[in-house]
Amino acid sequence: MSLGEILSHPLLLPALLAAIAASIAGGIMGSYIVAKRIVFLSGSISHAVLGGMGFFLWLKRHFHLEWASPLFGALIAALLSALALGWIRFRYKEREDTLIAALWSTGMSIGVIFIALTPGYNVELTNFLFGNILWATPRDVAILIGFDILLITLTRLYHKQFLAICFDEEQALMQGLNVKKLYMFLLCMIAVSIVLLIQVVGAILVVALLAIPPAIAAIFSSRLSKIMILAVFIGIGISFAGISASYRLNWPPGATIALIAAIVYLGSLPYQRHSTT
Amino acid sequence: MNDAIEVTDLSYRIGSSTILEDLSFHVPYGEFIGIFGPNGGGKTTLLKLLLGFIKPSSGSIHILGSYPSAARTTIGYVPQIARFDRKFPISVLEVVSMGLLRELNRFGTLNHQDKHRAHEALVQVGIEDLGTKPFAALSGGQAQRVLLARALVSNPKILLLDEPTASVDPKAESAIHDLLMTLKGQVTMLMVTHDLQTIMKDVDRLLFIQRNASLMNKDQVCGHFALGLYHSPLQGKLDVSR
Repeated sequence: MSLGEILSHPLLLPALLAAIAASIAGGIMGSYIVAKRIVFLSGSISHAVLGGMGFFLWLKRHFHLEWASPLFGALIAALLSALALGWIRFRYKEREDTLIAALWSTGMSIGVIFIALTPGYNVELTNFLFGNILWATPRDVAILIGFDILLITLTRLYHKQFLAICFDEEQALMQGLNVKKLYMFLLCMIAVSIVLLIQVVGAILVVALLAIPPAIAAIFSSRLSKIMILAVFIGIGISFAGISASYRLNWPPGATIALIAAIVYLGSLPYQRHSTT
Repeated sequence: MNDAIEVTDLSYRIGSSTILEDLSFHVPYGEFIGIFGPNGGGKTTLLKLLLGFIKPSSGSIHILGSYPSAARTTIGYVPQIARFDRKFPISVLEVVSMGLLRELNRFGTLNHQDKHRAHEALVQVGIEDLGTKPFAALSGGQAQRVLLARALVSNPKILLLDEPTASVDPKAESAIHDLLMTLKGQVTMLMVTHDLQTIMKDVDRLLFIQRNASLMNKDQVCGHFALGLYHSPLQGKLDVSR
């Protein structure tokens, strides 16, 4: 499929724009996630959002509350999970991995229970779980671009502080930074990114778009700022390839994007030893 | 006030286990103290208490007359290189600039003068040509010198070093010792070490930590300690306060 065909296609153009916007958010926040080695923690947030989605979907259907959209529920659940995980990190560091897993499964359990209680066929939920970028609306794209602008601004302002807490929390503390607040802030930014990326690849596969492009970029660069830029372009390339392939093969787009990301990552691994420039 | 560090009746406990008990010692300004003792004796815990990362269970610490958390601006800290993720994507200059985070402006950047200070710190430790190199590409000795540059960039009055020569080759070890000697008298230095033989000639006094503390002159240190054979009673368990 040519670029011209995609740009003139009513379904594919918003999907491509959403993919570009999502890749920007994923590339930037994913780079912090990979550098700080909190991929598992991010996986926990992305799965715990199911609790918020399920609960809000149940509210919407059961009580006919139109404002209770699953996306809103996901956002609240993601932020609460991020704050809880940040608190766990500083309070129960020695049991952090167990508590991350507990939050992961608790969020999903709540989601599954409310989904079971919700009447009707839950197509919305299927889209949130597995993503459906082909259904991205101009409104979704506008929200993603707005968030990208906010994210780039905040990253520009706080990058040195984030870099410090990712590399050496003790030094950050020595320099008078409020490490706990900064870490919570970073986790909240990651949580919001996850919710937005869920619309592209779904809750189950969001970690792929967050972790794999920066992991590939880290093979070719040794500076976080360069990794971020590279990861954005890698994410765009992978998303573009995934959307094209899914359109041709009639495969689910989210899963196709995640699969292509994994293949590109595996293909990049042999270049790892040349990674010191 | 001549004391840079004043520790009085300091104890630190985790649950029912006592890590440090009733430590009292004073370090005058400009002195170079070597801290030694067996593994698990509480050396690193003492550094963390001096840095204010953890709070004493009882007793008090004063750094230049202030509590540790308030005195951090005056302290440079050089941790062990082994503690770091050596694959972390960061350049040498970025690491050194972390010693100047207090100077960030409201746009989150350093001004030209501060960038120059970071470069000067690299010159001071003799690795100015490595500024743009990835931290991951450095040898253990080079990486340790980067951490030293990071500690020195803010012109600290007190330097705390946690085994800075533990994982470096003899050449780098010698370079680090030479550098520390250039700071002697200007900066109060406390260095945790296992290599007592090497630092004996450099330090002014030695602080033996094994739950308690004994501050000793060099001639009071038993030769067994240099071999890692710690025993009690210590020779000359006196001169604890000064």
